[in-house]
Amino acid sequence: MLEDSLLIVFISIFTAFLGEGLTWLLVYRTEGYKKLKSQVEKQSKKLEKQKESGTDPNDKNQKKKIERQEERLKADNRELSMTKMKSMFAIGFAFTSLLSMFNSIFDGRVVATLPFVPISWIQGLSHRNLMGEDYTDCSFIFLYILCTMSIRQNIQKLLGFSPSRATNAQGGGLFQPPQFSK
Amino acid sequence: MSTTSKRRQGDANAKNEELKPSLWQKAFNSESQWDDKDEFLDVIYWMRQLTGLALGLIWGLVPLKGLLGLILFVAINVAIVYYFFNSFHSVDEEQFGGVSEILKEGLMTSFATFLVSWIIIFSALHS
Repeated sequence: MLEDSLLIVFISIFTAFLGEGLTWLLVYRTEGYKKLKSQVEKQSKKLEKQKESGTDPNDKNQKKKIERQEERLKADNRELSMTKMKSMFAIGFAFTSLLSMFNSIFDGRVVATLPFVPISWIQGLSHRNLMGEDYTDCSFIFLYILCTMSIRQNIQKLLGFSPSRATNAQGGGLFQPPQFSK
Repeated sequence: MSTTSKRRQGDANAKNEELKPSLWQKAFNSESQWDDKDEFLDVIYWMRQLTGLALGLIWGLVPLKGLLGLILFVAINVAIVYYFFNSFHSVDEEQFGGVSEILKEGLMTSFATFLVSWIIIFSALHS
């Protein structure tokens, strides 16, 4: 059981590095992406500073200026997401195949014992394809998901690939609808 | 003449770089100034990951089981971060967008790290 758990951690580390490596190769190192990312970060920080310095509610010009900057930022964020999209689909497809291969290898195997009984709607994941009613038995997919949540995020942060907090705070991305000024 | 002054400037910059404390030295010095808020939030983030890993190892060794283990993790994790920014460093939380922004920094990833280490150690020793 310990060997299975450690193997899953290793698989998670390997797939995280592989994913980030492929994304760097196809997306992060391209000039277009670097330029857009730097633009978005500068705009986000500028907008954040302007909001923090406080706006006079009666100053309509200042409000309009901030709204225009927000729209420009959201448009750039959408463009940034679009540049990543094609590559991310291809990488996602490759990883889905990899995941289903590992799933079939570990099918029906108890890879760990949980020190708690998960709530009912998580049991479908934690006890997936396992025999018996002992819900402390852990399936591959649950442990893999937890490992990925932890390891991938930390690897992205270590390698400097995660978006800046200012960018996250201003929102935006592919699924934000365009907003028109009044 | 200009080459010499440029070299002196370079030497001065290099000395300044050496004198700048590392991020972790800053983290453990209660008198540090945090002009770059991202730097402080990064310290919170990594401190949380280490706390999650450590608590998972301890909970797995003891062993601590069930909802109590989960609740204690959240309570201790939040308490450590709160003490760190409020008492040890006495930062102005408004500078960072409020107490909640600091308290939630890296919490979910830390929780995942905690669960992984808790589950693996518990399974290895007590299953």
